[in-house]
Amino acid sequence: MKKFLTTAFLFTLAAVAFAQGAPVVQKSLFEGQYVAHLSLAIAAAGCGLGQGKAVMAACEGVARNPQAAGNIRTTMIIGLALIEALVIYVLVAAFAIK
Amino acid sequence: MEHHASLLAQWLTQVLGLSRHAWLGFAHGSPLSVLERYDHLLNAALAALTAMLITALVRKNLARIPGPLQQIFEGVVEGLKEMINDNIAHHGEKYLPFIGTMALFVFFNNFFGLIPALSPGTSNWNVTLGSALVVFGYYNFHGMKEQGFLKYWAHFMGPIWWLAPLLFPLEILGLLSRILSHSLRLFGNIAGEHVVAGIFFGLMPILLPVPMMFLGLFFGLIQTFVFTMLTTIYLSGAVSHEH
Repeated sequence: MKKFLTTAFLFTLAAVAFAQGAPVVQKSLFEGQYVAHLSLAIAAAGCGLGQGKAVMAACEGVARNPQAAGNIRTTMIIGLALIEALVIYVLVAAFAIK
Repeated sequence: MEHHASLLAQWLTQVLGLSRHAWLGFAHGSPLSVLERYDHLLNAALAALTAMLITALVRKNLARIPGPLQQIFEGVVEGLKEMINDNIAHHGEKYLPFIGTMALFVFFNNFFGLIPALSPGTSNWNVTLGSALVVFGYYNFHGMKEQGFLKYWAHFMGPIWWLAPLLFPLEILGLLSRILSHSLRLFGNIAGEHVVAGIFFGLMPILLPVPMMFLGLFFGLIQTFVFTMLTTIYLSGAVSHEH
């Protein structure tokens, strides 16, 4: 966790450094496209974890009972779509933020 | 989000000699013609026409020994029928025409993104919102028709009468937010895939977009399936009687 926080902090610094190099109007870290990109990254990370768990459970289910593969697949795809929708909302919001 | 009119719209503008107006363009954007501005409608109409033409072709050439196209369509219809029968308890097959229409429309719209010079109609929110609104109207209408007006709305009240003032607004909110989630899911997936494929194309036009387009083939199919499945589930929730 500590390592993760350190890395996150370094990346934040890197973002500031890049922003200073670019010839654009200086923006705060918490407005505009920074927020869009960062929130998309966070959403994608959470979605990845959630979908990974869902697929893991589905794989276990199919391995234990191959007869139920069809039903499990359908349910899994619906579940994955519903999880993915949350990231899609963030993506749409990221498109909307200029 | 930046607007890129499809090449077909630009080409048609030149061929038909349509004039570009600043008031048709977006704010701070370049002037656009009618076709470029309402690009998504052109693509959606093309997709709908393609779907109608292909189904008409299949219908005209129905044979006892099916050809390849007829076999594909028989598979699609059988799959949809099975899905409806799995989800809707009693005689759900009367909803097959509507669900099949939505499935074909969304399918062809999704896949038009893979054809060069076209952009998928579903990568614009207006098209998916329209589809979601049609689905919303359809299942509410059929819910009211099957259960009766009062009974349909009463089932938003929740199980206990004194919880109804709390639950009714929440359920109505949930009902309305279905439109949003149903349309945004399709729009975001297709638009995101299309944008990523476009960026890859910008990096290197040869070979690099191919994996992304292959993924687009897969996603288009999955999203069509999810859209149809959710339509069926909403419909089933609306028309099923509680025993």
